[in-house]
Amino acid sequence: MVLLSVNGESHQIDVEPEMPLLWALREELGLRGTKFGCGIAQCGACTVHVDGQAVRSCSFPVAAAQGKDIRTIESLSAADTPHQLQEAWIKHQVPQCGYCQSGMQMAALALLQQNQNPSDEDIDIAMTNICRCGSYDAVRAAIKDAAGSI
Amino acid sequence: MGITRRGLLLSGAAVGGGLLLGVAGLGAHLATHNRLEHQRKSQSGSKGQSLSLWIRITPDNEVVLLVPHTEMGQGSQTGLGQIVAEELDVDWEQMRIELAPAEVAFANGAALEPFIREQVSPPGWAEGMFQNGIHRIADLMSLQMTGGSTAIRGTGWLSMRAAAAAGRAMLMQAAANEWSVDVQSLSTAGGIVEHQDSGRKKSYGDLVAAASKLDAPTEVDFKDITQYRIIGQAIPRIDVESKVKTQAIYGIDADVPDMKYAAVAPIGAFGVEIDSIDNDDEILKRRGVSGVYSIDKGVAVVADNPWRAEQAVRALKYSAKAHDNKAVSSESLEADQRAALAGELSTLFEKGDVGLAMADAGNQVNAEYFVPYLAHATMEPMNATVWQQDGKMHVQCGVQNPLMARKKAAKVASLDLDDVVLHPCTMGGGFGRRVGVGITNDPLDWLQQAVQLHQESGEAVKMTWSREMDMRTDVYRPMVLAQFRAGLENDGMPRFWDSRHYLATQDVAAPAPPYRIEHVKVRHAGEPQVVPTGFWRSVDFSQHGFFVESFIDELAHAASEDPLTYRLKLLGVNSSEARALRAVAEMAAWRSEADAQGRAMGVSVVHSFGTTVAQVAEVSRDASGMPKVHRVWAAVDCGLAINPQSIQAQVAGGIHFGLSAALYGKCDIQGGAVVQSNYHDYRMVKLADAPRVEVKVLASDGEIGGIGEVGVPPIAPAVCNALALLGERQRRLPIVV
Repeated sequence: MVLLSVNGESHQIDVEPEMPLLWALREELGLRGTKFGCGIAQCGACTVHVDGQAVRSCSFPVAAAQGKDIRTIESLSAADTPHQLQEAWIKHQVPQCGYCQSGMQMAALALLQQNQNPSDEDIDIAMTNICRCGSYDAVRAAIKDAAGSI
Repeated sequence: MGITRRGLLLSGAAVGGGLLLGVAGLGAHLATHNRLEHQRKSQSGSKGQSLSLWIRITPDNEVVLLVPHTEMGQGSQTGLGQIVAEELDVDWEQMRIELAPAEVAFANGAALEPFIREQVSPPGWAEGMFQNGIHRIADLMSLQMTGGSTAIRGTGWLSMRAAAAAGRAMLMQAAANEWSVDVQSLSTAGGIVEHQDSGRKKSYGDLVAAASKLDAPTEVDFKDITQYRIIGQAIPRIDVESKVKTQAIYGIDADVPDMKYAAVAPIGAFGVEIDSIDNDDEILKRRGVSGVYSIDKGVAVVADNPWRAEQAVRALKYSAKAHDNKAVSSESLEADQRAALAGELSTLFEKGDVGLAMADAGNQVNAEYFVPYLAHATMEPMNATVWQQDGKMHVQCGVQNPLMARKKAAKVASLDLDDVVLHPCTMGGGFGRRVGVGITNDPLDWLQQAVQLHQESGEAVKMTWSREMDMRTDVYRPMVLAQFRAGLENDGMPRFWDSRHYLATQDVAAPAPPYRIEHVKVRHAGEPQVVPTGFWRSVDFSQHGFFVESFIDELAHAASEDPLTYRLKLLGVNSSEARALRAVAEMAAWRSEADAQGRAMGVSVVHSFGTTVAQVAEVSRDASGMPKVHRVWAAVDCGLAINPQSIQAQVAGGIHFGLSAALYGKCDIQGGAVVQSNYHDYRMVKLADAPRVEVKVLASDGEIGGIGEVGVPPIAPAVCNALALLGERQRRLPIVV
């Protein structure tokens, strides 16, 4: 049994300790906002926060997440009013196909929580997620817009 | 006003009230046939035609637009809504846009015929065409795909606009009848018909019942461009908010009762078959595993969690049968292409007399170019969920043509179409991978596997391909070798242009130079090779845009001319290409020499899918020789712009998509299979190496062009043309090896 705290709720699930967090979140807990893209921590579609750090959940075993505060995209989307980051994402019409965007937002949120006024270089270093549609210009603009309000 | 168009308008009362409108474009059947034939015809002057669709006006004055195009990030649903809102003269807030279900009822003649025969008399001139016309719609809907950058310019501009204008006319006529006034004395705004003299008003919702009993007009008036309030506005896309909040449902998010998970592994060389699975006993003992299967193009495991299924399929041991394809490699395929180009050639395009011109041209320039196979690598890997419910087989997946996918699922399962329900989802990227037609192979192989696994296991199955399976089981963008030769006059301008490339193109326009050259010959040789191929965003233009725009640049350099000026000299001053080039040169503050920081600019222009895009890329090389693309400017002439924000997003996105391919993209073939497996060896541009992109939509009242694909072709030549100023010219892609 593995005990996970996800978005402030505790869950006990019967999975192997080495199961990647991604698959426990998506298919054991039904939190499907976090996406599968590559399985080898290359694309970032599966980015979630573990104790405030952005991690790639496809390559992060559940055992390593036990006892930690796991936050998924659902923690942003649940509120009645859009999160400031999501407001900026809508304003700049960031998503195209949208598939990478939950991971993109979680990576951006981790950056902005640690750096309220990131430079272009800070953004380049922190944001290593792949967007196949090429929404990068809009991602950069939305991060700058949201900076300071997070 | 004043534009009139004759079309086959279908109208009538909706079930539950309201007015239904549709249009069958005459000649629409063209699109159902072989894409090559279709495009050859359109090349010779006849225009592609429209699709059928449905607009419904509810008694609450809401306009429901059923859009037959699925959503993969291109945003065309919003643009289609804008066209309809404009021509129907309703406010944007009244629009509700829905995806048309993959139901034959929306397409099939049998369902439409009584509707038309009983409730609306067909216009006399169309009487004889109804049987055929309706069945054409049926054909079209089943094969209809979201692809070829056709939604706005085909479905929207040719069909939906007419349906909306006809709807407005019928609603006005209904009001005129009720008030016994001349229809000319009425006006519309915000979904309300008003009689100005008396001040009487009535909403569309209150008029639909009467309007639905009227015959559809055979001729309709369209608004004049100066009257537009919604077309041309950067209206926020309808799909954005749900995607930001991750409420959009992709195929991979399927959740059905008692669902099991399937993972699939590729079995090596293309075309090879499984001989035996050697350790299934062992695999079946693994936790959660319920079945091991040998299926079309793979081996599969079904388990109670996708990770367990994937771990198990990776541990499967199997042997494959012998196959000639195992000897195939990139090198052997390229050698075969080179040999074919030295053999008998077919002429695709010819003017003047290249042979004669060759004899007395002074300075000759020769170049050989090469582009490799490319995978689509959509962010959401191929997946489908198949289950039984209420006596029918249900399929949930993201697909560019849902009805065709439904037919495919029915065929694989040996079921009647009526016994299959398809639930189309938002797609995590398409780029041509999720269409129903390929160049050599059926791209719906993933759907076939999912249906097979559901049938063989007897379970509700969600099959998800690993990235590795997805990368190695694609319908690839074809690898192409091309050879060019040109002769220059004393003034440096080309006297002849002679090119040969491997493989007939889908579009004859792609390999033909847009420049005014007296003697031109474009030839090709060869048949598709063993690697499965399909449509990849921008299709032939992704290869031939690179070849043609690189070679013209080489000619400019050979003539010691500024490549921008050289191109402009060879283009009509009022041509779309010249217009876009002048605009992009101004945006970029064009310079033909590298600056003091070692940054050089390259230019290119490609007309594809009815739209012209000119680009300038500013590029440098770092100390280790690695290219860095700093900025890209793009000028887009797409005719009338429906939604400028969507156009900018699509073109900027296309530039990043094309840049990934230009810099890093290749699928090498070894042992008859693709070597690359995931994003570590099939690299993508990320934010740190993504250039700043500036897109300008040129104001134009010209015919509407496509947008989804047109940003891709010019970027590779623009970057390589810039690099040529900094060292050696890149004639082979990718640039970084």
